[in-house]
Amino acid sequence: MTLSGLFHRFSTFRNLRTRLTLLYMGLFGLALTLSGIAVVTAVTSSARHMVRDEMAAAGAVYGQLWEARSSQLRQGASVLARDYGFREAVATDDAPTVRSALDNLRTRQGVDGALILGIDGHATQVGVQPDAAALDLLLRGLDSGLETGVLTIDGQPFQVVAAPVNAPVLMGWVVFAERLDAGQMRNLERLSAIPLSAAVVLNPSQASTDRPVTIDTPEGPSMQLARALPDFDPTAKAALLLTYPLHRAMKPYESLFLWLAAIGAAGLALLLGGTWVLSRGLTRPITALDEAVHRLQHGEYVQAPVTSADEIGRLAASFNAMVGDLKDREAKLTHMALHDQETGLPNRLSLERQAGAHTDAWVVLFGVDRFEVVRNAIGYDSMGRLLAVLGARLSALADGAPMARVGAGSVGLVIIARNKAEALEAAEHLAGTAQAPINVNGAPVDITLTAGVAGHGAAGSALTSPVDRAAIALDQARAARRAAAAFDEIAYGDPGGNLSLISELMTALSEGEVSLAYQPKYDFRAEGITGVEALMRWTHPRRGVVSPDLFIGMAEETGHIRPLTEWAIRRAIEDQKTMAAAGHVLTVAVNISGRLLSDESFADFAVNEVATSGADLCFEITETAVMDNPETALRIVDRFADAGISVSLDDYGSGLSSLTYLKRIRADELKIDKSFILGLDDSARDGLLVKSTIDLAHGLGLKVTAEGVETPTALALLRGMGCDLAQGYLIGRPVPMAALLERLAAPADAAKAVIR
Amino acid sequence: MRLLLTLLAALSFAAPAVAGDLTVSVRDAAGRPVRDAVVTVHPAAGVPRGPIRFPWASRMAQQDVRFLPYVLIAPVGGAVAFPNLDRVRHHVYSFSRGARFELELYGRDETRSHTFTTPGVAALGCNIHDEMLAYIKVVDTPWAMKTDTAGDAILRGVPAGGATLRVWHPRLAGRGNELARPLTVSAAPARHTIFGDFTARAVVR
Repeated sequence: MTLSGLFHRFSTFRNLRTRLTLLYMGLFGLALTLSGIAVVTAVTSSARHMVRDEMAAAGAVYGQLWEARSSQLRQGASVLARDYGFREAVATDDAPTVRSALDNLRTRQGVDGALILGIDGHATQVGVQPDAAALDLLLRGLDSGLETGVLTIDGQPFQVVAAPVNAPVLMGWVVFAERLDAGQMRNLERLSAIPLSAAVVLNPSQASTDRPVTIDTPEGPSMQLARALPDFDPTAKAALLLTYPLHRAMKPYESLFLWLAAIGAAGLALLLGGTWVLSRGLTRPITALDEAVHRLQHGEYVQAPVTSADEIGRLAASFNAMVGDLKDREAKLTHMALHDQETGLPNRLSLERQAGAHTDAWVVLFGVDRFEVVRNAIGYDSMGRLLAVLGARLSALADGAPMARVGAGSVGLVIIARNKAEALEAAEHLAGTAQAPINVNGAPVDITLTAGVAGHGAAGSALTSPVDRAAIALDQARAARRAAAAFDEIAYGDPGGNLSLISELMTALSEGEVSLAYQPKYDFRAEGITGVEALMRWTHPRRGVVSPDLFIGMAEETGHIRPLTEWAIRRAIEDQKTMAAAGHVLTVAVNISGRLLSDESFADFAVNEVATSGADLCFEITETAVMDNPETALRIVDRFADAGISVSLDDYGSGLSSLTYLKRIRADELKIDKSFILGLDDSARDGLLVKSTIDLAHGLGLKVTAEGVETPTALALLRGMGCDLAQGYLIGRPVPMAALLERLAAPADAAKAVIR
Repeated sequence: MRLLLTLLAALSFAAPAVAGDLTVSVRDAAGRPVRDAVVTVHPAAGVPRGPIRFPWASRMAQQDVRFLPYVLIAPVGGAVAFPNLDRVRHHVYSFSRGARFELELYGRDETRSHTFTTPGVAALGCNIHDEMLAYIKVVDTPWAMKTDTAGDAILRGVPAGGATLRVWHPRLAGRGNELARPLTVSAAPARHTIFGDFTARAVVR
């Protein structure tokens, strides 16, 4: 493993303390190991040197011992060899005498064996029994001048020393043989300062050198020194072998090593404990800080303990300061989020929270009536104060119920009520009680209040917030001119769903879901159907028939009315051709939205379409639409008229009417609103109004069509008043193209019968 | 027995014969002359009877802690004088077979003598001075002579006919440190060269 890998491993420990402790332990252990290795190496090396020197010394000592013993033996042998009597005995072959002399000397000298070897090879011996081969080796060696050496007798090495017997010529040799046995070796071992073991061996495995070498023995690595000894057998190599197992050399140091190990272990243990304690002191504040950060993450405002003045202490202090700042800031943010900056009252969010806290909670929204008027009268700032006072008053009246400013001129309250009726009653009571004049800047201001009430909505409701629903309820209350109203979901409808409807309308056009229905117009003079009004119908694949009031109104609001109208014009032109082909020449009326009367490019389209097709169309517009933008509208109506399109003023009498505009609009026809015609049967006033209108129209050169003709009576009255055309269920309901053609094809009598 | 031998010797000596001079040159293996080698000739006809006399003194002196001469040829039955010319005393001995004797400590200008009765070699030593060594070659023929420094020995008046030539030297390799060679002696002077190995050890028992 590389060093960087090791550090990486270190850095993966999750615990700082473990990491510190291990690092210190590792470094100290490394230093300890290195110094231990150094000590052991030095000691071992020193011990080896000592052993080597001692062995060399022991080898030298043995050399001297060998020489000394040889000399001593030689001296003894020599004394005997020179003894006149002995020589005489040898010369005269006096074997008993010779033997006794040898024995005597052997005992005196303390040697193991003695013999006299004649130059002819004949031997007389005591103490040892060398065989013929040994004697041959001995004789050959002595003959060649060797006087001291190792001789193997019966496999046992002997130190052999000889002295010549001259009588006066050489007769033979007096030979002393001393066993090189364990006892002698023990003596040598005792002389040595170190406990080495000595042995005389033949043909030692290692070459005889005077340098100690290290070899492996059953006792482990040992130092060995072989010292060559002279041998009578020229083929054999006798040697003194000194062996010293190194473990014996190391024995005196064992206690030193033991102490070293013990001191190392103790040091390591102390370091472990010390580092652990130290790192705990170091890491404890960090751990505490770490924990504090974790708790802060979970939204808890904790203070980390500051235990020191060092970097960690400063960090902890900074952390605490930061937590304090954070806490203040959040409090401020929370306050801002839940309070109205202008009045200091709790805001809508606060109210929603309060409402959400209780299942029986109801939100009551009190709106200051004619808010803009009041505000303009007393000023912006004063209005804020007024609302603050009003909020406090309402809250006090409702036994300290939570209160908030919800809109520019409305204050909300959360009250607890068992049901809607109870809540509504409470709201009416509060609205009535709180209407006392409010003093603003010393002047009393009269206010009236309207209240909207909403509870927790049913699941799946489009409006999730009760505050929103209460606001709508407030609007609904005002529309109904009531002091208080609860939220009416049915009345509110589904504005969101309607919005999606519009996006589907364009698809519906191309998919053929939208069609035109035609309602016939009865001509009193022609006594027949001379025209039809085209009305749009939308059959939605899921919703079924969509009310034209809904989708046309929304198309107007969302700017989709132009493509819808363009489609209707094209369709009407096509259908008029179809009707003509079926033999019915009819004027087709198309409703044109007021918004299109300010659209010159739409006028271009319409004029162009009519010119191209040569159709006989009538555009039904309202007088009100012209009044919104009279300049453009009048010009466009002029263009329609110039293009041969007849213009009909629709719903006359239901909206604003201005005779000025009536005069200026180049219309061909005026359609009296059905609200007048429906009351024609019973109301003389309506009859008068209709009669006057017909006269007025005729006076201006306009034809008159009556809408909503549903009874024969009305038809008869209209005929009597000189009305030109009649339209209504009595004449015919709006029907699809095919049904219209069928109706027209029916015998005229049937139709007339109905009408009359 | 001794009488009979003497008689036989006399008989052989009396036989008419032509005598010749014989020069024997002794050389070692390297061809160098060897001195102090004892050359003897035993005619096949035998040696003349009667005591043998040599022209040199039958004497082994001790001078300067040495025997002098190193090799002495002595006739069998002849006495050899051992004068001590040193100031120290000597103890002359011989353990040689047939010539075993001992002349115990005697001083300056004292003379001892010993009669050698058996042919052979006596190795002489001094019990006091180990390094002293000399040889007395006891011969039973009048034709005996030591080689000189040139390695030559001249034997005069050797009867013609078959004979055995012997050479002895303490270092000569061979049985009894001796070489024997059959020889035909003619009246005319002859010269024989004997080569031998002179590195052997003296064997005197």
